[in-house]
Amino acid sequence: MYPFGSLLSNLVAFGDFLRGEYGFRIGSGELHDAARVLEVVDLADESAVRNALRPILSKTSEDASVFDQAFTEFYFPGPTGVQQAGQEPVWRELGPEAGGGEKHVGVEHPVAPEGAKEEAGSEVAGGTTAPLATMEPRVAPTLLARASYSPLEAEATGEAPELRPVESAWRNAARVLERRLHLGLSRRWRSAARGPRFDLRRTLRASLQTGGEAITARWLRRPRRTPRFVLLIDGSRSMGSYARTALQVAVAIASVTMRLEVFTFSTDLQRVTNDVRRAAAGEIRCLDRMQYAWAGGTSIGRCLREFVRRFSARMMGRDTVVIIVSDGLDVGEPSVLRDAMGELHRRSASVVWLNPLLETPGYEPTAEGMSTACPYITTFSSANDVAGFARLSRLVRVRA
Amino acid sequence: MTDASAIRARFRERGFVIDEAFATAVQIMLAIDKPLLIEGPAGVGKTESAKVLAEVLDTRLIRLQCYEGLDAMTALYEWNYPRQMLHARLSEIENMTIEEREAEIFSERFLLKRPLLDAITQDRSPVLLIDEVDRADEAFEAFLLEVLAEWQVTIPELGTIRARHKPHVIVTSNRTRELSDALRRRCLFLWLPYPSLKQEIEILHARVPGLSERLAQQIAQMMQVLRGLSLQKAPGVAESLDWAMALMSLHRDHLDAKTIEQTLGCVLKVHEDSEIVAAHQAAIESAQIESRDFGLGSVSTPSA
Repeated sequence: MYPFGSLLSNLVAFGDFLRGEYGFRIGSGELHDAARVLEVVDLADESAVRNALRPILSKTSEDASVFDQAFTEFYFPGPTGVQQAGQEPVWRELGPEAGGGEKHVGVEHPVAPEGAKEEAGSEVAGGTTAPLATMEPRVAPTLLARASYSPLEAEATGEAPELRPVESAWRNAARVLERRLHLGLSRRWRSAARGPRFDLRRTLRASLQTGGEAITARWLRRPRRTPRFVLLIDGSRSMGSYARTALQVAVAIASVTMRLEVFTFSTDLQRVTNDVRRAAAGEIRCLDRMQYAWAGGTSIGRCLREFVRRFSARMMGRDTVVIIVSDGLDVGEPSVLRDAMGELHRRSASVVWLNPLLETPGYEPTAEGMSTACPYITTFSSANDVAGFARLSRLVRVRA
Repeated sequence: MTDASAIRARFRERGFVIDEAFATAVQIMLAIDKPLLIEGPAGVGKTESAKVLAEVLDTRLIRLQCYEGLDAMTALYEWNYPRQMLHARLSEIENMTIEEREAEIFSERFLLKRPLLDAITQDRSPVLLIDEVDRADEAFEAFLLEVLAEWQVTIPELGTIRARHKPHVIVTSNRTRELSDALRRRCLFLWLPYPSLKQEIEILHARVPGLSERLAQQIAQMMQVLRGLSLQKAPGVAESLDWAMALMSLHRDHLDAKTIEQTLGCVLKVHEDSEIVAAHQAAIESAQIESRDFGLGSVSTPSA
């Protein structure tokens, strides 16, 4: 796919590369803008090109943080290359913060004689003819993250679960759950047939139908707040098949609301919201790419703390219902779990903990992890099947 | 003013220090007429950058502050009903046809322009700042998309008003919730992190004239350490400027343990954070002694 003769085809190939390797969401509109911008900036200045393309092609801070690495990988493939006067060595671009970028440096590529670069500018303009092979051994950042060492992960076995659409009974239960959560009223005013506030604007507009006489009064009312859900699913081995049930809960909720975020954790936290949403839309998805978050040991506290640090600011608020599905067998420090639970409690409308062991006769939540978490839980229950999930709507309480 | 370094210099003249990436983002925003979405931690100068841009372009700044419950009417336009009614009553005796009276009542005189309509009816492209868009409801975001895409507003009584000059739009977000993909796609994206040690010293000098080199250095170093401590409310640039001014007004020319203790309220806004900082006293003191760059200035960006 690389190299191409012209600047534009290079740009299109770069777009494909970002989409394919880094999951950027870019379409022809972005590429069009990028092409326009390349007319404006100085093509001979590599950092100017980077700085110009970054705001157009990356759409989130996650994108922006890997953009430089991707740019280097695409336009300066391979660490070996004939260095020309005035050109910085490529590996300096990677820098220490470039994450796993330097990890695949080990692959040595032959340098094509015509691959010699004149200068960075002609590089962008499609002057490079690096051998095709140099583009092959790209390693996605997730793969590198997986290769990092962890004593707990060594035990990770277990097969990856499948995500599939759920039956209507699940969806109905989710719908009831969503409806029954009373979070009070929104701050917004909506027009309505009846309400506490008079809507002068719409009343006057309606009066046009009655010849200018305001006969029908229109009112404003505050609509109810719709809840947001955050689902944190323990995928460790001790959870066994219950974790699969939890994923069904996730898909069920995803099929009735978009306001859902789903994470799985065992030794690491993994965001699977997109997979769950696509499953809810009818696809069958295999979670194999997140196997390392599946069926290892459990460090609940550490994973919850990571969630709080990285995601809670934008995913939690007073409309958020946090649902944790876990058996509470934590191998980490209780204080870490306590802090994380405290924070989840503080930032949410309700913390629901679904413990599959609760249905085991004689079970008491006395394990250290569970007893640490208990004071911060608003609703402690279980949902091991669709009936259990349906029951949940009557149990969940929210704080006023 | 089409060149990134020129933009940088113009911002610098107004005491606003930006890096190359920021300047280029502004440059292409002006070049291809797209809104610029700026995200970043609180207090790094997202809002300020729009104000400075308006000054640099010598144009008006129109600000739409978003909040929960903000609706289209508050953002766009509203008829001044009481005034219309009054006018209708007062002009009853005048000899006018119905059409004339209607045209008069629904004329621009009785239209209350809210920021978005205001922004598209200017004679010169203004800078439109849509501040803290993450605080508005998702429904408002959808409405905003329409305006940002078309640059026209339809008022049933008046007709469609098209922008004569497209505003330069800066949208800011503090990431208190996830913005929709659709909004992101309409915008250029810029992540504005905390400044590096060197940048922060430069900012301090630019904004607080008369600040001694030593104090600037110490404040910036303290900030680097504090931002690395995983506090609930990490201090931004705004806090370091406040702190510098406070220290100036107390006639301090360097930081010592006692001064820090007395003035840390300028920087830390949560009680728990003060406790965390107290626990890390040793690290902070070493930061003052050695001129070390802790390199903790940038926030870790989560990867999905």
